[in-house]
Amino acid sequence: MARFLIRRLLNMIPLIIGITFISFLAMSLVPGDYLSNLKMNPRISPEIIHQLQAQFGLDKPLLVRYVKWLWGVIHLDFGYSLQYRVSVTSLIAARAFNTVILAVASMVFAWILAIPIGIVVALRQNSIWDRILSFLAFLGMSVPNFFLAFLMVYFAMWMGKDWLPPGGTFSVDYNSLTLMNRIADRINHLILPVFVLGVAGMAGLMRLMRSQILEIKNSEFVRTARAKGLPERVVIYKHVLRNALNPFITMAGYSLGDLLGGAALVEAVMNLQGLGLLLLNAVRSLDIYLVMGSVLIGTMLLLVGNLLADIALVAVDPRVDFSSMASQ
Amino acid sequence: MARRLKDTCAHPAGRGAVGLLCLIAALAAGCEVRRPTNNHADQQILYTAVGADPQTFNPILVTDAVSGELLGDVFESLIRVNPVTTLPEPGLAQSWDISPDQKTITFHLRHDVRWFDGHPLTARDVLFTLKVIYDPKVPNSIRPGLLVDGKPLAAEAPDDYTVVVHLPKPFAPLLYSIGIPVIPAHILEPVWKAGNFNRVWGINTPPQKIIGDGPYKLTRYVQNQFIRMDRNDDYWMTDEHGARLPRLHGRVVQVIPDANATYLRYQYGQLDVYAPRAEEVLDIRQKIGTGRLHARLRQIGIDTGELFFCFNRNPRHYVKNGVTDPKLTWFTDRNFLRAIAHLVDKQAIINLVYHGLAVPAVSDISPENKLFYNPNLRDFDYNPGLASEIFETAGYHMVNGRRTDPQGHPIEFNLTAPTGRPEADQICAILKQDLENQGIKVDYQPLEFTTLVEKIDSSFDWDCVLLGLTGTIDPNDGSNFYRSSGNLHLWNPNQPRPATPWEAEIDRLMDAGASEMDPQKRAPYYWQIQQILHDQLAIIETVRRKDYVSWTDSLENYQPTVWGLYKPEWIQFKL
Repeated sequence: MARFLIRRLLNMIPLIIGITFISFLAMSLVPGDYLSNLKMNPRISPEIIHQLQAQFGLDKPLLVRYVKWLWGVIHLDFGYSLQYRVSVTSLIAARAFNTVILAVASMVFAWILAIPIGIVVALRQNSIWDRILSFLAFLGMSVPNFFLAFLMVYFAMWMGKDWLPPGGTFSVDYNSLTLMNRIADRINHLILPVFVLGVAGMAGLMRLMRSQILEIKNSEFVRTARAKGLPERVVIYKHVLRNALNPFITMAGYSLGDLLGGAALVEAVMNLQGLGLLLLNAVRSLDIYLVMGSVLIGTMLLLVGNLLADIALVAVDPRVDFSSMASQ
Repeated sequence: MARRLKDTCAHPAGRGAVGLLCLIAALAAGCEVRRPTNNHADQQILYTAVGADPQTFNPILVTDAVSGELLGDVFESLIRVNPVTTLPEPGLAQSWDISPDQKTITFHLRHDVRWFDGHPLTARDVLFTLKVIYDPKVPNSIRPGLLVDGKPLAAEAPDDYTVVVHLPKPFAPLLYSIGIPVIPAHILEPVWKAGNFNRVWGINTPPQKIIGDGPYKLTRYVQNQFIRMDRNDDYWMTDEHGARLPRLHGRVVQVIPDANATYLRYQYGQLDVYAPRAEEVLDIRQKIGTGRLHARLRQIGIDTGELFFCFNRNPRHYVKNGVTDPKLTWFTDRNFLRAIAHLVDKQAIINLVYHGLAVPAVSDISPENKLFYNPNLRDFDYNPGLASEIFETAGYHMVNGRRTDPQGHPIEFNLTAPTGRPEADQICAILKQDLENQGIKVDYQPLEFTTLVEKIDSSFDWDCVLLGLTGTIDPNDGSNFYRSSGNLHLWNPNQPRPATPWEAEIDRLMDAGASEMDPQKRAPYYWQIQQILHDQLAIIETVRRKDYVSWTDSLENYQPTVWGLYKPEWIQFKL
């Protein structure tokens, strides 16, 4: 296991360098730079633009800037945002906590509902429940989540002032609340966004669970289990379900990388504090170091997530071991 | 159920016991948390919204509108501009004298202004502010407005409450551009001397550390959520009864990136003020009429900015290896441009794009700029018949259904606009249709803003663009646009010397207008500039929106104008 871990961790280094360099290149190949945003302002003269260019180091060649950025990253300096003139770390840190809360809450919501529903519809394949729930699942997958977000904001307004807030991560007077009220306030603000973000994920997961179970239900070892005379409950929960869960472990690993940036449009509509919108705006205004910081963290989360998923897979599935993983 | 639960929640002893219950209830339906957003009036706190986060709390380094708007309430300037008269009026300077030769301005500062930390504001702060603005190591957008002929102003302080500014020549725009936020020397001078000014007072600074002197102080900022400001109890202004201003106890500015969401939140009562877009004006009017919204709606005037078409006239793009692209000939031909101007269907744009809530734009200066707007310009009416006539007389004939120039080149060009503005797409589609009816082929492709700017600023690779620049009161702020040497002289920027006699004339008028101190005598120079731009069709105007603002019924003394709020310190909620 130690060898496997070291190998995987070492493999990450070239991957991270490759991914960040390509992102850096892509950001630099776009015509213009962050200062283009300022050039149409009649009050900002070309002289000021030149001075800013020198201050931000945007006049240096691409490779020099990249190496300088990488050098900073090695020393845990992720650079400065050009728009906000504060460190990238502080911008991301200000939003990270709420992003993680929202992402984890909506993931839990999706999984808790999707897995049992997936099992039920798979076991009653082609029943009326299967049809209805599958229809709803397709609906959930195809409705764009920002649109659902709007519907929910309308819903909150229709409910009236005292029920659900139509947006925001917490109330304006959050700091003056007692701890209990703070938690209640948070949860109150989470209900609608979690529903919106959870529904789409839930629909996909449910479909996956259904097809997994259908596939495994008809496999030979299940027939063997039934032939042994095991009760149906044991067959389903011990044999079918356990084997059906493998792809979900891999998926959980991937979704760690989605924590960043997955929900920009919903964040905009529901006024949530999150990293998605920050990243989207950074890309649009060519705030290169802010983009690079987000890309770096996203990449690391994805790689670490995959690693954790692989380790979990070894723990759950006896057919997989570290030596076979390492040789992949 | 929710109400009973709230009562229990509020009781200290019962709190722990019902904790879990409260959680479950919150999950199920939302625990009724005490939400102050429901009683803005009791608390005298005004709730408004902005579309983006502020980018800095350092008033000298501001380049974005949101930071500028917020910090305007935290930092005072020497002189303010009255949004109703558009004339300068006293701020930190209670009066000022202009010497007979108009080259020396003496500002007399108020004696009763204190920074939030209790330090008195003196002439030293003003001199320090100017020093920072002129420091080449502190790139800022204030400096260009304070340069006369490219040179900084000489300023001195004969005593603690007098600032004398010497100009190399009379320079009228100074009274507008000297409206700079003054910063506290006793706090920022050491920072500046250490070379750290560019990083001080960023948005991650605790808001209490931002020491200003304005009507409000920053008290809390949560990125992407809201900015909270509280009243500065020591603010120098008083009302007619001697009571301290401002009357509001605070402001909450919510950061809501999506305009539709902002509108919903206004209807929900979470925001007290909203500037509706054209399609929302009728909706609000109807909701007020049927009593579903307790608010007022007022047209505050004509927008100070507008969208216009501009054709590229830059030989650096069209003349390559001694060969001139025929496009340059068309785009500098007044007959061609006049015909195009007669093809801009302003009424269709008003009706289709702005739901009737706009007026034709004639000049680049808004009629709201009462001092400098030239009312005598004659608009180019929409008249396709006249346009074909002009084309035909000028030698642009129809050949096989295509309009061709006298040399036989079929006329076609690219049209672009920044992405993300639906109205720009619609206006371009309307013009494209009218041009196609005239046999002119137009390729419309909207571009991401930064890409478009690079084309206009550096590569010059464009034919026609639909663009808008925001209007300011003093036309001299638009120097970069009017002057042939300016980088925003869109159609042919950064000219070493004026390419045409009329551009030379505009340059001359800009100089003459800036040196005339009397506003009434200044105006004619800018009227002439508008006339020249109109005659030469350097830019082809479309329309100007009518600006509306809606605010909740309980708000008093709310007096919005297109140039900002009039007497904002008097705003309060009815009790």
